[in-house]
Amino acid sequence: MRQLWARLISLTRSALRGLSSSPVASGVAVVTIAISLVLVGAFALLASNMRSLLDDFGDALVVAAYLGENVPASEYPALADLARSVEGVESVQVISPEQALERFRVGVGRGAALLEGLSENPLPASLEITLLPEHQSAAGLGVVVESLEGLPGIDDLGSGQQWVEGYLRALALVRGLGIGLGAILGFAALLIVSNTIRLAMLSRRDELELLALVGASRSFVGAPLLLEGALCGAAGSALALALLFLLFQLVVPGFEFGLELLLGGLSPHFFAPSECLALMAAGVAVGVVGSLFALASERFA
Amino acid sequence: MHDAVRATVGLFHVSKSYAAGHFALRDVCLEFQRGEFALLSGPSGAGKTTLLKLIFAAERASEGQILVLGRNASRLGAAAIPSLRRRIGVVFQDFKLMPRRTVEENVALALEVVGTPRREVRARVFAILKQLGLQDRRFHHPLSLSGGEQQRVAIARALVNEPEILLADEPTGNLDEELSLEIMDLIAAAAKRGTTVIVATHDSAILERYGGRHVRLEHGRVVSEHSTPAGREGE
Ligand SMILES: Nc1ncnc2c1ncn2[C@@H]1O[C@H](COP(=O)(O)OP(=O)(O)OP(=O)(O)O)[C@@H](O)[C@H]1O
Ligand SMILES: [Mg+2]
Repeated sequence: MRQLWARLISLTRSALRGLSSSPVASGVAVVTIAISLVLVGAFALLASNMRSLLDDFGDALVVAAYLGENVPASEYPALADLARSVEGVESVQVISPEQALERFRVGVGRGAALLEGLSENPLPASLEITLLPEHQSAAGLGVVVESLEGLPGIDDLGSGQQWVEGYLRALALVRGLGIGLGAILGFAALLIVSNTIRLAMLSRRDELELLALVGASRSFVGAPLLLEGALCGAAGSALALALLFLLFQLVVPGFEFGLELLLGGLSPHFFAPSECLALMAAGVAVGVVGSLFALASERFA
Repeated sequence: MHDAVRATVGLFHVSKSYAAGHFALRDVCLEFQRGEFALLSGPSGAGKTTLLKLIFAAERASEGQILVLGRNASRLGAAAIPSLRRRIGVVFQDFKLMPRRTVEENVALALEVVGTPRREVRARVFAILKQLGLQDRRFHHPLSLSGGEQQRVAIARALVNEPEILLADEPTGNLDEELSLEIMDLIAAAAKRGTTVIVATHDSAILERYGGRHVRLEHGRVVSEHSTPAGREGE
C-alpha cells in the first residue's frame, strides 16, 4: 500500500514535471479539449433541457375526448366506461360543460370578464383520459388515440400528439447534431492532443531514451505520459465546464423568450453533477487515448 | 577457480552492419569473465561503441550470437531488454545527463526504474555520490558542473545499482590527464568488487598505465589481444 502510494506520487510528479517542461504543447492540448467539449456540451445542454421538458410533459399526458353536442348527459358514464376499456388507459374522468367552463374561468384569470356576456355555455362535455405510464410517449399515445377515435359519441380528440412528435423530431435533431459534432470534434481533439503529446515527447526525447537505456520498462516510461494526457483532459474539461456555466449564465437571460417557446414554462437547468462528471470523463478519455496514440507512434529503444 | 564459471559476456562470430556492404564489426569472438577489467582500443570508427551497444542491446547483431549474463542479447525481445539493462551500468561517451534534473535526481534514475523504495534510493545515491566526491554537488544541475564532475555523475549513475557489468565509452574523452586517471581509478575499482568492466578508449596514457586485458579493434575486427596480469590493480 505504502509502495503503491509512493509510486503514485512519483508518477504524478513526473507527469507534472513533463507537463511543465513543455507548457505550450500542454496548453494547446488543454485548450483543444476545452473548445471541443464546450461545443459538444452546448448541444448536450440543450438536449438535456428539451428532454426534461418531455419528461415533464409525459407526467401530465392527458387526452381530452370532446363529446358530441347531441350526446345526452345520461350517456356520459357509459361512454366513460367504454373509454376505460381501451388498452393503455389508466383512468377516465367525465368533465361536464359546467366544469369545463369553471376551469376555463380559472385558467384565463382576469380575462374571465369576457365570459360574462355569454348567454349559454359554448364548451362541450369531455372525457379526461389519463394514460398508463408505459403509454406516456409519442408512440404509446398514438396507439391509444387511434383506438379512442373509433368510439361512438366522440367528436374530437385533443392529445398534443402531433406536438409531441414534432418536439421529439427536434430533440432527435439536436441530439444527432450533438453526437455528430461530438464525433468529429472528438476525433479532431484526439488528433491534436496526440500530436501535441508527441511533440512534447520529442522535446523530451533524450530523457525518454535515457530512461530506456537505464532499463526503464515500457510502462515506466509510458505511465507518466498517459497521466499527462489524462491531466490535460481533466484540465480541458474543467475549463469547458466553467465556460459552459458562464455561457449558460450569460446567454439564458438574453433568450428567455426563445427558450420559453422551446421549453414551455420550464426554467432551463445546467448539467446535473453526474452529467458534469460524464463530461469530465469524456475529456480525460480523449487525453488518455491521445497519449496512447502518441506512444504507439513513437518508440524509444 | 575453474572454467565452469560462465563468461558474463560472450560474443561468438558477431558481425554488425548498419548499412548494406559496410561492416562496423566483423566476425568478432570475445569472452569477458566476471570481475575482468578490459580495455577496448582502436582508431575512430573501429567499432568500439558498436561493440558496447551490442552488449547492452541498444543495437542488434547482424550475425552471430551474444550472450550477456546468460541471455542471448542478439535475440532478446523488446519486453526482456529492460531487465537486462538493469544489470548493466553504462557510462556514455556524451554522458547523457538530464540537464533539467539535479545531480541527485540523475543518479537516482537508475534506481527508480527498478522500483527501489524512495528511502533506499536516497541512501544509496548519497553513498555513491560521497564515494565519488560529489556529495556537495548533489543539488546542482549537470550544466553547472565541470566536465570531470559531469563524468563522475555519469559514473555514479552507472554504478549506483551495483551492476554486474560496467560499460564505459571513452569515459575520459575530454578530460585532462590527471582527471582521466582519477576517473579510470574509479572505474577500475568496480572490477575489484567483481563487476565485469569494459572500457572503450583511445587514450594512450590510459592504455599505458592500465594493465589487464587489452583488445584492439581495427575496421571492425579484433587485431590484437593481450593481458598483463599485474595491470589488474590499475596502479
Ligand atoms: N547508427 C549508425 N548508423 C550507421 N553507421 C554507424 C552508426 N553507428 C556507427 N556507425 C558506423 O560504424 C562504424 C563503427 O562506429 P563506432 O561508433 O562503433 O566506432 P568507434 O570505434 O566507437 O569510433 P569513435 O572512436 O570515433 O567513437 C563507423 O564506420 C561508423 O560510421
Ligand atoms: Mg565511439
